[in-house]
Amino acid sequence: MIQKKVCLLGTSGVGKTSLIARYVDGSFSENYLTSVGVAIKKKVVRVDDSDITLIIWDLAGDDKFQPLERAYLRGASGYLMVADGTRGMTLDHVIKMRERYAEQIGSTPCALLLLNKSDLESRWEVDEGRMSGLASDGLTIIKTSAKEGTGVGDAFEQLARRMIQPA
Amino acid sequence: MDDLAELRRLINQPERDKLQDLHDRLDDKEQRAHEIASVLPEALTLSRDRSAELTRAIQPAVEGSVRESIEKRPQVFVDALHPIIGPLVRRSVAESLRAFLQSLNQALEKSFSWQGLKWRFEALRTGKSFAEVVMLRSLVYRVEQVFLIHRETSLSLLHVSADATEAQNSDMVAGMLSAIQDFARDSFKTGRDEGLEEFRIGELQVWIVPGTHAYLAAVIRGNPPRELHTTLEDALESIHVLRGSTLAKFEGDTAEFESLRPELEACLQSQFAAKKSSGGNRTAWIALAAGAGLIMAALIVGWRSERRWQDFVRRLNAAPGIAVTQAEKGWIFRSRVAGLRDPAVADPVALARAVGVNPERLRFEWKDYLALDDTSVLRRFEKRFGKPAGAQLSLTNGALAISGAAPYEWIRRVRIDGMQSPGITSITENDVRETYDPGLALSRFRRAFPLPQGTTAQVAAGTLELAGAAPYEWLAPVREGATKLPGIKEISEQHLQVIYDDKFVLQRFVDRFNLPDTVNAKMEKNTLVLAGEAPHAWLTRVQRDATSVPGVGALDKHNLVDLDQRAFQQSKSVIESAFVYFLVNKDNFATEGFTALSRLPEEIRRCLSAAGRLGQEVQIEVNGYADSVGGEAKNLDLSQRRANAVRDFLVKCDFDPSLFKAMGLGAPPVTSKPTPEQSDRRVALKVVPKS
Repeated sequence: MIQKKVCLLGTSGVGKTSLIARYVDGSFSENYLTSVGVAIKKKVVRVDDSDITLIIWDLAGDDKFQPLERAYLRGASGYLMVADGTRGMTLDHVIKMRERYAEQIGSTPCALLLLNKSDLESRWEVDEGRMSGLASDGLTIIKTSAKEGTGVGDAFEQLARRMIQPA
Repeated sequence: MDDLAELRRLINQPERDKLQDLHDRLDDKEQRAHEIASVLPEALTLSRDRSAELTRAIQPAVEGSVRESIEKRPQVFVDALHPIIGPLVRRSVAESLRAFLQSLNQALEKSFSWQGLKWRFEALRTGKSFAEVVMLRSLVYRVEQVFLIHRETSLSLLHVSADATEAQNSDMVAGMLSAIQDFARDSFKTGRDEGLEEFRIGELQVWIVPGTHAYLAAVIRGNPPRELHTTLEDALESIHVLRGSTLAKFEGDTAEFESLRPELEACLQSQFAAKKSSGGNRTAWIALAAGAGLIMAALIVGWRSERRWQDFVRRLNAAPGIAVTQAEKGWIFRSRVAGLRDPAVADPVALARAVGVNPERLRFEWKDYLALDDTSVLRRFEKRFGKPAGAQLSLTNGALAISGAAPYEWIRRVRIDGMQSPGITSITENDVRETYDPGLALSRFRRAFPLPQGTTAQVAAGTLELAGAAPYEWLAPVREGATKLPGIKEISEQHLQVIYDDKFVLQRFVDRFNLPDTVNAKMEKNTLVLAGEAPHAWLTRVQRDATSVPGVGALDKHNLVDLDQRAFQQSKSVIESAFVYFLVNKDNFATEGFTALSRLPEEIRRCLSAAGRLGQEVQIEVNGYADSVGGEAKNLDLSQRRANAVRDFLVKCDFDPSLFKAMGLGAPPVTSKPTPEQSDRRVALKVVPKS
């Protein structure tokens, strides 16, 4: 059994926890998010006839846990950056987080950018031009909706596939 | 050129020789084999550390070779592996059996104890099996789970748990353990290599042993010894030795660590509470000893019971008034005793209790009879009349002798009814001192003399103490009769006020003094007032004794005349006023004198009678006088003769001569010229007390 550590990054309120709430196979209480700054969940995905266990670290977006983020990110094989499409600043924030972690960790694990709340796309502040620019920088962007479940499974499967691909 | 060739040869020759030597060594298989053999172990180790390529490369060849060898010559492998597998199998089976037996022993030991009952209740409450509860409660400690966690990724590499423990999702547990470690490490600003080493949750504690690439987390129930930490460290060190490189290059494939399961399972150690006893046989010995003890106790109880029974029967036979004809000891049913029994003198139930035989387990079949031996007769007497504490009773051939002190009531009852007790022919009292119960004495008094209202009475030390107020008429018979009652020796009226009724007081006076008709009597404020006339003797008696009449405090007799005194005075006055005149110069009575003289005897008798009633003895002085004519001597003689004449006359009238004292007093003193006065020629009488 292959196991991979995955972290979910994003500003508080972008929908990280909601995204995986109905997707994961098991989780500890969400109370750990507010107490320890992380909630650990588990999802087994099947990629090319292989089962991969994703140990998903749902990191709290609260600034007070920022000093812990580096420790929590350590050893992660990939992470999902989550931004709220209706709040453009959350995208800016998660991009900066990525850059900061890249400097701290010194490596670039597999990463996907999830633009959440696709069910409210008409009210998005992130336009196609911004998305095209990010894609041109090598970021894979997936539109997701925690409310409708859109794109969630696809995001985790893509991340799992990338993580097991030889470098 | 030759020189140049020679120079080249000289320079290159050593290299050529080395190349030739190398060429020879490569061609020499035996030599090459020796050389490879000398470096092969190091090469294999180095290759294993660098990657698993060598393992993967030789794995098919080794597996094929082994498989072929086992197919062809299995015995070789059996012989080779037997020293390893045999002990392993035996150890595994022994461990399983030991765990099973230990659990079974614990369960059996606790099954019927108070603790066992508590554990059964806990098993019911928690839904766990009894054996599981016994095991948990008997544990000193047990390592229930061990996690091998990759330090960098926080992923669970391997997880083992003891039987019957519920394993949490090890992947997430490993993650959270790492997160908590990170959290703690960051919160307290500790170094990278420092972190949580242990924490406790209820009965569980988690020990974390850090390693270079991975760490162990052991979940332990109970209180483990510190040696366990060393065990965990050794295991982790062994894991790093075996899989150090794999851990360093871990990329998520946990299957590579499955082979480490024995190392982790070796950490699943446990220790149960030491038995207090030295071994299982102790229970058996205790049971055996208990059984023997029970048998011994039963024998002792039976022997003692038989002794008590024999003693009981012996005492029954010896008891007065009982004659046992049959006695059967019943071990299961009630024992039976039959015979003759005098109901009045023998109590077999009390006797049974006295010797420790339960009367409830006895069945008596008695026929009544009257025992006439002295002991039975005396006991019967005592049962009927009782025996006072201070009394001594003895019976000899029916003659009862009583001595000592006995209550009046008891001795009185014995005197009346004692002879009616069967077997008593006579009763003799030898200086029996009667004692009196004050209460009973008082009861007798109250029955004899009902207390009037306002009067209280009590008896103490033989004295009847009366208090309050009581009429004399009630008190009088009390004074007369109370001390005749048993238990009352004297009467105390110190606190008693006697009430007198005038009517009864006067009646008592009249009855006692026989009131003359000439006397009136009445009571005025305790004073007896008498009026009228009464004889001197009666009056004297009244004066003397009237106040002794109960209720008479004083006597008032101012209006009471003494009849005898009055008569005496009257007679005395008549006698002393009667002058007997004489003739001139003669001792012959004059006519007037004789008349007076003739009345004197009667009057003297009356006077003497009255004096006698008054208790007085009187004497009558007969005084003779003469007139002043003549000489003194003559007149004295004449007056003496005249007195004698009167005395003689009166003596002749049957008076005692000693009654009279005749004296001649001569003539009266001459104050003027002497004259022959008749009045001077006289004899006068005077009644005086007898000298």
